[in-house]
Amino acid sequence: MLLIWTSILFPILAAFAVAIGPTKSAKWTAFAGTLVSLGALTLFAWNFPAWHNAEHFPNTTGPSWIPQAGITFSVGFDTVSLLLALLSAFLMPLCIAGSFSSITERTKEYYGWFLVLGSSIILAFAARDAILFYIGYEFTLVPMTLIIAIYGGTERRVAAIKMFLYTFLGSMFMLATLLYIGWEHRLAVGAWDFDIDTLTKTTIRLPSSTQYWIFAALMVGFAVKVPLFPLHTWLPLAHDQAPTAGSVILASAMLKLGTYGNYRFALPMAPAGGAELMSVVAVLAIIAIIYASLICWVQTDAKKLVAYSSVAHLGLCMLGLFALNPVGAEGAVFYMVNHGLSTGALFLCIGMFYERYHTKDTDVVGGLAKRMPIWASFMVLFTMASIGLPGLNGFIGEVLCLGGTFISEHDGQSGYPGVLGPWYAIVAGLGLIFAAMYLLILLGKLVWGPLREPHDDAAHASSAVRLSPDINFREIAILTPLAIACIWLGLQPKPMLDAIAPCAERMLANYPKEVERLMAQSAGTPLASLNNTTNESSSE
Amino acid sequence: MTQLTSIPQAIIAPELSWVGLALLLPLLAAVACALCCALRVKGKAAAIITILALAASFGIIVKAYFAYTGPVQVPIFQWIDFEWGAGQFQSFNANCALYIDTLTLFWMLFVTGLGTLIAIYASEYMEGYCGSGYSRFFFGICIFLFSMSALVMGDNLIMLYLGWEGVGLASYLLIGFDYARPAAVAAGKKAFIMNRIGDLGLALGIFMLWANYGTLQYSELFAAMNKGGQTSVDWDLSVIPFLLMLGAFGKSAQIPLFTWLPDAMEGPTPVSALIHAATMVTAGVYLIARMYPFFELHPEALATVAWVGGLTALLAATIGMAQYDIKRVFAYSTISQLGYMFLGLGVGTSFGACYHTLTHAFFKALLFLTAGAIMHGFAGQLDLRKLSGLRHIPGWRIVSWTMLVGCLWLSAFPYTAAFFSKDAILLQALTSVRADFRFLGWLGLFTAALTAYYTFRVWFRVCAGPLHFEPGAEAHSESHDHHAPSTHAAHTTAPAAKSDHSFHPHAPRWAINGVLLILALGAVVVGVPAYNQAFAHKDNWAQQMIAGSSAMQGAGLAEDHGSQASVEHPKVLGMDAHTGLTIVGCTASIGGILIAWYFHLGSRKSADQLRAALLRRWWIRWVPICMENKWYVDEIYHFCFRLPMWLGSQILYFADRHFLDGVMVDGLAKIPIAVGKLFRPLYGGALQGYASTMAGGIALVVAWLSWIWLRGFN
Repeated sequence: MLLIWTSILFPILAAFAVAIGPTKSAKWTAFAGTLVSLGALTLFAWNFPAWHNAEHFPNTTGPSWIPQAGITFSVGFDTVSLLLALLSAFLMPLCIAGSFSSITERTKEYYGWFLVLGSSIILAFAARDAILFYIGYEFTLVPMTLIIAIYGGTERRVAAIKMFLYTFLGSMFMLATLLYIGWEHRLAVGAWDFDIDTLTKTTIRLPSSTQYWIFAALMVGFAVKVPLFPLHTWLPLAHDQAPTAGSVILASAMLKLGTYGNYRFALPMAPAGGAELMSVVAVLAIIAIIYASLICWVQTDAKKLVAYSSVAHLGLCMLGLFALNPVGAEGAVFYMVNHGLSTGALFLCIGMFYERYHTKDTDVVGGLAKRMPIWASFMVLFTMASIGLPGLNGFIGEVLCLGGTFISEHDGQSGYPGVLGPWYAIVAGLGLIFAAMYLLILLGKLVWGPLREPHDDAAHASSAVRLSPDINFREIAILTPLAIACIWLGLQPKPMLDAIAPCAERMLANYPKEVERLMAQSAGTPLASLNNTTNESSSE
Repeated sequence: MTQLTSIPQAIIAPELSWVGLALLLPLLAAVACALCCALRVKGKAAAIITILALAASFGIIVKAYFAYTGPVQVPIFQWIDFEWGAGQFQSFNANCALYIDTLTLFWMLFVTGLGTLIAIYASEYMEGYCGSGYSRFFFGICIFLFSMSALVMGDNLIMLYLGWEGVGLASYLLIGFDYARPAAVAAGKKAFIMNRIGDLGLALGIFMLWANYGTLQYSELFAAMNKGGQTSVDWDLSVIPFLLMLGAFGKSAQIPLFTWLPDAMEGPTPVSALIHAATMVTAGVYLIARMYPFFELHPEALATVAWVGGLTALLAATIGMAQYDIKRVFAYSTISQLGYMFLGLGVGTSFGACYHTLTHAFFKALLFLTAGAIMHGFAGQLDLRKLSGLRHIPGWRIVSWTMLVGCLWLSAFPYTAAFFSKDAILLQALTSVRADFRFLGWLGLFTAALTAYYTFRVWFRVCAGPLHFEPGAEAHSESHDHHAPSTHAAHTTAPAAKSDHSFHPHAPRWAINGVLLILALGAVVVGVPAYNQAFAHKDNWAQQMIAGSSAMQGAGLAEDHGSQASVEHPKVLGMDAHTGLTIVGCTASIGGILIAWYFHLGSRKSADQLRAALLRRWWIRWVPICMENKWYVDEIYHFCFRLPMWLGSQILYFADRHFLDGVMVDGLAKIPIAVGKLFRPLYGGALQGYASTMAGGIALVVAWLSWIWLRGFN
């Protein structure tokens, strides 16, 4: 408990220190603050008792905050939220170190807000209270908006405002639903309570039609954040305009809040709604994969390309999650972490060459393998991870998501019936081909080919820090941990898969029953009973 | 369909885990090469490390071969492994483990053996890159060997997929090795993407297997087959082999996914020899051989494989006849020979297919390496019209004569190993009960004649005839710091390198010559067992290797044919099938060589005259034009798939920005602004305005209250 609060609050303390302290030391203060946060969280994870035990969850009660409304400061982790919080805490110092040379003006504000951003993300993952979650979830927007609006590209204001309003509107749906659930709880029990587990127990007793609307409303809120087609248009703009570190956190941590929200709230709270809407979400996810991949193909802006690829990748993640079986759910959670690593690393790589050439246009700059061989090696590695090359981390998530979709069939031999099945997997699988196409085109232009550099001496002269042609030691030190993580998770996914499995099964606990009930309803009695008998006979 | 012989069941043998070193050593070597790369090592350390590691892994495979007693499964560590119930369909297991049977060993022997030899060759061939890309090259080779070993030795289909994609990566990196050349980069990209299309089929096939059998381990899948398999003609079961074969067609460059292989010749020649001729492209054959029982369940699947193989062999041979670049000729011949292997698999002789893979690996690697030596020595010259009579130059004799060996083997000259392996395939096709297979057999014989022709077209042009040569483009370029051959050739400083006399071809040294000799010898020796024991007999070494594995001939469909064949004594041209085929095969091979001799050695003018004559006649003109332009397949793909998709993507991007974001999102955002504008006149800032607004407001409130009051009275 103390460690969790340390990891949440220490960055805020550091932010104060940054605000008070001298400008020169701001970056190092910020770096130290995030390191302490990461250290505290790592220490917590090291002693975490629930890695292999689904039943055992650490004590989640916390000091009461607004007792009349049942709102508490309770924080705690299950393995999934711990993994995502670790991911965010892990990326934070890397992002701060990555900003050392790129942020040269108004540095104190930048690092201060960055620290606040980090702590609110960890708060969102750690919260065991729905309102506390909402606070963390929503508060990430404030520093992110400022980071984009002050330190971003030429259209930064529009991008920041659009991101803020769009995602804020989405989360209003979520907040309203959470309040409604709290009210339902009060009707049932007589007192307000916003503990997530308590709320879950309340909602699963609600009638299916209510659950349907609860699910739909929560889904709207989280779908904006994921982002799911067609609610994604804020993302490419925000990524395009954000400074490098902002993009990294946006893609790697903030988008995960959307998928995590599905995992933590929408799916377990309203199984009846989830079961009914699974095919809708899956279709949207598949559209996102194909649509975003095709758009990636015609991008000439490296950062926009990676931004759209995030839409496609998270579409696959959502597809796996909504396959509603352990394979898919496990794959989806694994994919969340992997996408954070590989896409975050890609944004960092792109930021590194952007700092040197002040353009992200792949038509203007390219063939950098000749100028920046070390950078090129990292770029190739992370691209391959993003393509989903086996042996690297992306593959495990991808294969499990697709496999989960594949077996999410009526016959339910896996014990988890579903309505997706092979055709969904086949169409989504086209995304694998497209991913190779657009990412290799990016590599082909940016890394390989004859060297093309804009001869813009003015831009070079204006940058306060002269950078070496290839990435320097600091930048290598930033990318190396990410590279190691990508390779390690690709070769040794088992510990993490084992840790996720009980949580995934807990989340899906009510689904086989709900899906079967729905299928029985829709298929009419004779066929359904036939299905049931065949299932029974096969299980015997 | 009943299984006549069951697939031997693998036993779990953890004590054999040392075989895993064959996987680990290339990986460690790759790490070492990457370190060399990072430390910018100028010397040949990377090559030495690679050669040692590959030789050691070859040694391990040899040791495993001698220690072999029966199929074994060697667990190494748990990779992807979890379950959520006790049921058959409630787990997903893909562990890092090895499955070793004779088919594995058969493949691994030539993969690691040739890998070692080609690494030795490359240590000399690539020396021009010392300090700039030398270590990177060997890094790619090590990654390739690791992946290929994983592909072949893996104990489940996910391991196979790991290797499958890994060899794709290695191929991508190595084709694009000379990354400053856009052509090389484009070729690498094309190879990866076309392979990826096939890979989707493979991935879906794997999922389909998992969804239907609940496991992905070979041993468990084969156990399910031994129990009678799944004989249902269920839609999703019968689709499995078709999905798997899509993957195989992608990797092994068959119709419709063959166009990447000729472009892959942009890579350094050792890569073409190792990856794009001898080993990686045979992965498709391996996949089908490994999963043969699943193909036999569906005769139509095998028929599809046979047709695709037969037609690819013919198509590629026709293109190969009209190419002028030596490496491209050999590339098309690779596609064509792979077509034969698929034909063999399709008509039911997995033995013939695998045996042909083995012989082909040797002679094709040999041919590519000779082509590489020529390219190395003649400053990148590969146009067979501009090289002639190389055998007259001292120092080039080894290259010339080993190339002759390779050409004889490729053209299936009588009593070479390739002659036997090709005949094993054609015999099966010609004696089949199916008429379409017999047709494919004759097509294969026709293709064999074409093969002999285009093969010897190269040799008669390049090695025989009067001495004459022009150096390649790299001899002229002054900025040659990035190409290997030119850094060595003594001529590079000569300004007028255009005349033949100022150019001195740089003859290969011991590493290249030695490897060529070993390979030529190997090509001869591989033929020997077949030569000693009539190839159709069951006690042939290769036959035994294949028969002991899941790819055994006649586990199902083919056995039926075999038994019928033995009853009916099928005839070819009225003779005993063996004799008939030998005669026809010899005729085809020697006939092709003689035609090549006439047109390309005897009177070279007549070849040009023939071409001109063909081009003059409108009704036949399309044949040479299409052949020279590769039947326009690339162009067709471009216009049918790539262009519409690209246009569609542009439209989508436009719609995303201007409709979804512009109209929907920004439009929605305009509503509050519009509402605000509606009321803006009320707050103009003038005092009288506010006064009148206030008055109006009061009036409204009064009106509302009075309406309530009035209604209350009703």
